[in-house]
Amino acid sequence: MGTVTINHLTKIEGHASLTLKIRKGKVEKCELRAVEGSRYFEGLLVGKNYNEASWLSSRICGICSCAHTVTAVKAIENALGIEVTQQTNQLRKLFTIGERIRSHATHLYFLVLPDYLGFESGLEMAPRHKTEVMRALKLMKLGNDIIRLAQGRDLHPISTTPGGFLKLPSQEELDNIRERLQDALPDAETTFRLFSKLNYPKYEFPTQYFSLTSGKEYALLEGDIMTGNKTYRQADYRDYMLEYHDGDNTANFVVKEGRSYMVGALSRVNNNKTHLRPKSRKLLASSKIKFPSFNPFHITVAQAVELVHFIEEGIHILDNLAIRNEKPAEYKVRAGHGIAAVEVPRGTLWHEYRLNDNGQITYANIVTPTAQNLRNMQDDLQEYIPGLVGTGKAKLVLGVEKLIRSYDPCFSCAAHFLKVKWE
Amino acid sequence: MAKNKLTVGFVALTGCYGCLLTAIFNEEALLELANVVNIASFPFIKEKNYEGKFDVLFVEGTAVSQQDKQHLIEFRKKSNVLVALGACSSDGGVPALKRFVPKKTFDRLVYPKNPDIADLHEPMRIDEVVQVDHYLPGCPPDKEQVLTFIKNAALGREMKKHLYDNPVCVECRSNGNRCLLEEGRMCFGPVTRGGCHAVCPSNGLECWGCRGPTSDANLNKMIDLLKEKGFTDNDIKQRLLTFTGIRFNEIRQMNVEWVPSQ
Repeated sequence: MGTVTINHLTKIEGHASLTLKIRKGKVEKCELRAVEGSRYFEGLLVGKNYNEASWLSSRICGICSCAHTVTAVKAIENALGIEVTQQTNQLRKLFTIGERIRSHATHLYFLVLPDYLGFESGLEMAPRHKTEVMRALKLMKLGNDIIRLAQGRDLHPISTTPGGFLKLPSQEELDNIRERLQDALPDAETTFRLFSKLNYPKYEFPTQYFSLTSGKEYALLEGDIMTGNKTYRQADYRDYMLEYHDGDNTANFVVKEGRSYMVGALSRVNNNKTHLRPKSRKLLASSKIKFPSFNPFHITVAQAVELVHFIEEGIHILDNLAIRNEKPAEYKVRAGHGIAAVEVPRGTLWHEYRLNDNGQITYANIVTPTAQNLRNMQDDLQEYIPGLVGTGKAKLVLGVEKLIRSYDPCFSCAAHFLKVKWE
Repeated sequence: MAKNKLTVGFVALTGCYGCLLTAIFNEEALLELANVVNIASFPFIKEKNYEGKFDVLFVEGTAVSQQDKQHLIEFRKKSNVLVALGACSSDGGVPALKRFVPKKTFDRLVYPKNPDIADLHEPMRIDEVVQVDHYLPGCPPDKEQVLTFIKNAALGREMKKHLYDNPVCVECRSNGNRCLLEEGRMCFGPVTRGGCHAVCPSNGLECWGCRGPTSDANLNKMIDLLKEKGFTDNDIKQRLLTFTGIRFNEIRQMNVEWVPSQ
């Protein structure tokens, strides 16, 4: 079959290419490359004031800018010993949920579904599947409106600062969002039913499923790290995670204890499904697809169940939130070191900062979900592709693209944190 | 492909895809938009992307690599109207902050790369490489402005290079906000191009100048004013260089030394 190169993988975020060399039915080479230029965010953050970390790092990624914002402020708060109020924490959860709804809806309907229904894009799909596309846009708009309420606009949040919020939403606005979440719940449930019935390849690639976990809830902003039946502390992440260079390969990957691992919705559902809210738990139980699942194509099913769960969670938060006019917490600027990990749409996101006495950032390290998933994606492709050999080039390429898209990779995020080495 | 429809594309250099999302996040108008114009290329959400000539091509991102520069030259060749979408493309954006940062702060992050994506000497806004017809600045740009632009283009209306050239203060005042400068905060609203509905000051944050200077910005006066309020040269430069530093630096050269002591 020879060499197949997809120079510009489409329907993913950022620029990536894939090169396959197949000889006599064997995969001799499988290289997933981030072909983004470098923006050096971790360098640009050095010298900046501690409170600018969130506004600057949100620019790493448009689609998960809230994720970078909340992870950055939490790491800075850890460095400075700032405690935030329950209200601040709940509002942070709320806009993180808004971003989750928007990101999952965009990925499911615009980047994945067209592949399964035989269209090149959501736009091409729209005339024949208007209901589905309108449902997607409704969910995306709901997510955006939640973010705008808490942050001032859809992306690149404004109002979050270490200690709290520069501006708070009104009770009336929150009540209105609660109604809209309630109204969208059936749309999320329909989404789950749709995605749990798609014709996924029968395929398994068991790996280490890595996510935050919490004894009391479906972990989002805090918790320990869990894989298999082991748990690890966030603060020790350098002991079990390694960003490394592989001489034989193109990208620098992240491994946990020497092996590839998966972050994202499938890991979260596999690890934390007992903490899903009632409707999503019931839906999951009634589905033919069972979790824990080792099929990477079921990442989308996990995203769909999260869509239901996080809408339920949003309603729960708002049912218990009477907004008070709180100012950001007071604190003293001092030298410090802080690490934070948060569950964001594509997996666990890490920010780490060191501050000097003046509160200037002297060191920044950011580990994105896609950087962590990349090694796993590549190992997964190696395993999956031999089964596609012999189906013809078009089917092989579509099969490979479907697997890559399933992971919902974000190369804008990853590229800048992968130390890419080229042959 | 119906005739008379504008052939429109949305493409990216190195960026965060936020500007492309801004176009998509016109949720209620997206499908209508796809009827009114032919969205022929949009690799973020489309598998099949047109390679021919575009009536209007929106470009997101900063040119940071040889490949970006090459792509940009091709984008220019195949578009009648080239639109810089967002702060990176229009004014350099956050990636161009690298031009003002001492090299040693990012040395540890530089790694060997495929020559295609090797770094340019300096990150560039796109009009440092090719001619740009229109700018929709901002980080992120205003999503309604993207729609307005396409509507005007579809109707064949004449448009200026910038759709808006009043300072942020105009919209800020009409929103009824208290003046952050008067509260002693470092707000660059008076020298920054508006059209953003003053969204940052309206949400409690000073303007950082992400839409670039207005054509008649009096930056010297602005800096003197901030110094009177007690801000240091370093405070002012750091802030001003973050989003559209290349532009502000063209008005008044700013040498920055901000590597912190360990």
